[in-house]
Amino acid sequence: MVDISSLAGPLVNGILWGGLFALIGMGLSLVFGVMNLINVAHGDLVILATYFAFFLSTGIVLRHNLPLDIDPILSLVIIIPVMFGLGYAIQKFLLNRARTVSAEAPLIIAFGISLIIQNAALRLWTPMARRLTPPYALDVFIIGPVRIPLVYLIAFVAALIMVFLLREFLRRTYLGRAISATAQNKRASHLMGVNTGRVYSFAFAIAMAVAAVAGICLGLIFSFTPEKGIAFLIIAFGVVIIGGLGSMVGTLLGGIIMGLVMTFGGFLLDTRWQMLLLYLVVIVVLAARPQGILGR
Amino acid sequence: MKFIISGLERFMKLTIPGLGRWSVPLVVAIVVLAVLPQVGMPRAWITYLFQFFIILTVANMWSLHAGHSGMITLCFAGFIGLGGYTMTIGSYFGIPIPLGIVLGAIIAAVFAFLVFFPVYRLKGVYFAIATLVLPQIIKYVFFIWDPVGIPTTGGGAGYTVVGGMAFSRIDVYWMALAAAALSMIVLLVVSNSKLGLGLAAIRDNDNAAASSGVDVFRLKLYSFVIGAFVVGLVGGVIYLRSQYIQPITAFAIKWQMTAILAAVIGGLRIRGGPIVGALILTILHFWLSGYPGYSMMVQGIILVIIMLAIPQGIVGATGRLRGTRVYRTALQLATGVADRIKGKGNM
Amino acid sequence: MEKRAQEISQEPLLKISNIDVFQGTFKALWDVSLEVKAGEIVGLIGANTSGKSTLLDTVSGLLHPVKGKIEFDGQDISTMDPFRIVELGITQVPEGRGIFPDMSVLDNLIMGSYSKRARSRKKENLENVYQHFPMLETRKKQTAKTLSGGEQQMLVLGRGLMADPKLMLLDEMSLGLAPIIITSLYKALQEIRERGITILFVEQNVRRSLQEADRAYILEVGRITLSGIAEELREEEEVKKAYFGV
Repeated sequence: MVDISSLAGPLVNGILWGGLFALIGMGLSLVFGVMNLINVAHGDLVILATYFAFFLSTGIVLRHNLPLDIDPILSLVIIIPVMFGLGYAIQKFLLNRARTVSAEAPLIIAFGISLIIQNAALRLWTPMARRLTPPYALDVFIIGPVRIPLVYLIAFVAALIMVFLLREFLRRTYLGRAISATAQNKRASHLMGVNTGRVYSFAFAIAMAVAAVAGICLGLIFSFTPEKGIAFLIIAFGVVIIGGLGSMVGTLLGGIIMGLVMTFGGFLLDTRWQMLLLYLVVIVVLAARPQGILGR
Repeated sequence: MKFIISGLERFMKLTIPGLGRWSVPLVVAIVVLAVLPQVGMPRAWITYLFQFFIILTVANMWSLHAGHSGMITLCFAGFIGLGGYTMTIGSYFGIPIPLGIVLGAIIAAVFAFLVFFPVYRLKGVYFAIATLVLPQIIKYVFFIWDPVGIPTTGGGAGYTVVGGMAFSRIDVYWMALAAAALSMIVLLVVSNSKLGLGLAAIRDNDNAAASSGVDVFRLKLYSFVIGAFVVGLVGGVIYLRSQYIQPITAFAIKWQMTAILAAVIGGLRIRGGPIVGALILTILHFWLSGYPGYSMMVQGIILVIIMLAIPQGIVGATGRLRGTRVYRTALQLATGVADRIKGKGNM
Repeated sequence: MEKRAQEISQEPLLKISNIDVFQGTFKALWDVSLEVKAGEIVGLIGANTSGKSTLLDTVSGLLHPVKGKIEFDGQDISTMDPFRIVELGITQVPEGRGIFPDMSVLDNLIMGSYSKRARSRKKENLENVYQHFPMLETRKKQTAKTLSGGEQQMLVLGRGLMADPKLMLLDEMSLGLAPIIITSLYKALQEIRERGITILFVEQNVRRSLQEADRAYILEVGRITLSGIAEELREEEEVKKAYFGV
């Protein structure tokens, strides 16, 4: 049988990875909960943020090599507002209009946005696999038999912070309440004087801000290419399905479960099976609970 | 003269059961296209038309799913990959390639059949994402599994097609034409049949259709599986032409994207929409081949613009045109002039 | 909310003139005209398919008339967005309660004061709501979906009050509730009117409507068939025959 103490590694790291997955899923959950839109470009947008951080920390773009060396976490100061603005614009000018066209239009348009972003990233940064490599990228804590890379901890802490911030925002600010209300009962919130168009734009913008944080953490932990977007979309979707809509804490739990599936998959089988296992879990959960686990 | 005209009219109205009034044009088109390579069509055109046939096939089938049956499916990559792999792997085990291609279609259809049951109940977006995950799963299976057992290049099961060279450009052209023709026939037959009627009802309102006695599940299943078959078929053809298959590209999103784009540009629920869309996309493809790396972006931008500006597609937009005053007046004038020339009536 | 003059003024607060409204391709309202004067309680009576909810939704701005005009407080609101109409002082208490199920009672009430108009008076209005419905204060931390039907109705009434309205629209307030609760709700409604808020309510129950309203309109299949002072309508032969089975 398996040595119990050697399980500690996958357990701890799975939980920590869960933080990253939760971060990636949070933005999707917010958008889906509020406007019933699965943003199929979500994964690509997260990776876009990662590429922004890559650019700011290495100066590499096209064939140039600019003298840029901004720490990825620090670069969030720039990237969060940029992603926020981008998200607001996408929702306001593209997706809001798409809703009036037909039910499938937003999905198809999101698909188009996904293509545009992938291609742009391919052109700007080539298909080469990249990583974010600040000096602390390889620092590791060793606690007993368990090796915990610092970046895993960073991602987890970031996830906790974002869950907390988002929850408080949704509960205590008028805009947050409006977003929450629109997600729960769109008609009633209309009648309360909520400008749903504006709410959607802000919700998407906030989702993108969270995606920015997710992107940086992702780049610190995994390597990334322009085409990885779909993989992270599916992971985010799995997180949302397992954790349930509308609950930020649920998203955290969903992330942790996905993280554990991945680490134990790699532990018991091998790395090629990890992704396969993950995808199978998503399909199985979908098939078993079509309305989502905590379906509203 | 009159005799010839009325004879022609009657000929045009001939129908093959199930195909409706497009029977004759369709058959004529197929015959003409089949004969073209033999009568000295420039080689480049063989390539252009090949591409057109492939795009038309996938566009038609996506139109079948999304336009006619109300299911947004994102798993075409899976069908194409399965078709391609079946043919390729078969070539290592002595299965003649044409048979391999048909087998590939069958495998894709069986896969679709099995997979449909768990995902069927999912609503709109959930369903779409579930179908998106499927090709990814198959891809990883082929990363891990190496059925042929040769040392692989690239990630996982990358194989060349054994005996693929025996098929010329023209042979492959005809295969693609056959696939495209099949897709047109399928679409026509479906629209003109009870299946099509039921699908139209489902598309507009699931619940209403169900309460009218339509077996929603069965109809959607048929539509899904038939689409999978044809797309699997064309997958085999695609990989016969490229002679080499590997997991990363076999299950890439590219063909799915092309199918959606062509169907949407032409007009999703409109007859003839995919044809126009496939035409435009083929032109675009070759026009942009001089700018590698931008084609995906351009297609994405076009998709967004079309959905926002002309959501009913180009054919749909011209349909609107036909209803406008300007068009009708123009038509009246034109026929009036024609009458004048023939010596009838007064203007 | 200061107490305004008890007299009913002459200039209509809400004036609907000859509107046609479509729900999709279906024509729900045909040449409908209706008036509500400040300080009145007006009842709109009709069966399920009469178009009553459509009418309220049109006043609230969720739908727009293709013909005719709606004026509120002198302004033409026929094509305004719903959130602008709320800012002007119209609030709707929707059919089926329309609570925010996963929010607490208090949070629901606070959402009522979302509009800029109401935000500055949040504290006062909250006090007033608690006066009308003390139960809401005791249960302020409870999740809205766990309340009973009657309590939820009180919640949305209170929420409507939080919007600091001049005109309150009520859609089928008594649906699915016990008579004793309905009585207390209508009593609260009268108290709300004493604060100077004008009320237009929609009801299926004719008897109850004519009891509580000053004036009433009867809506049948999208058209106004009868209107007048409630007392008089009660005596009307046609009303008696159609609705009381006499």
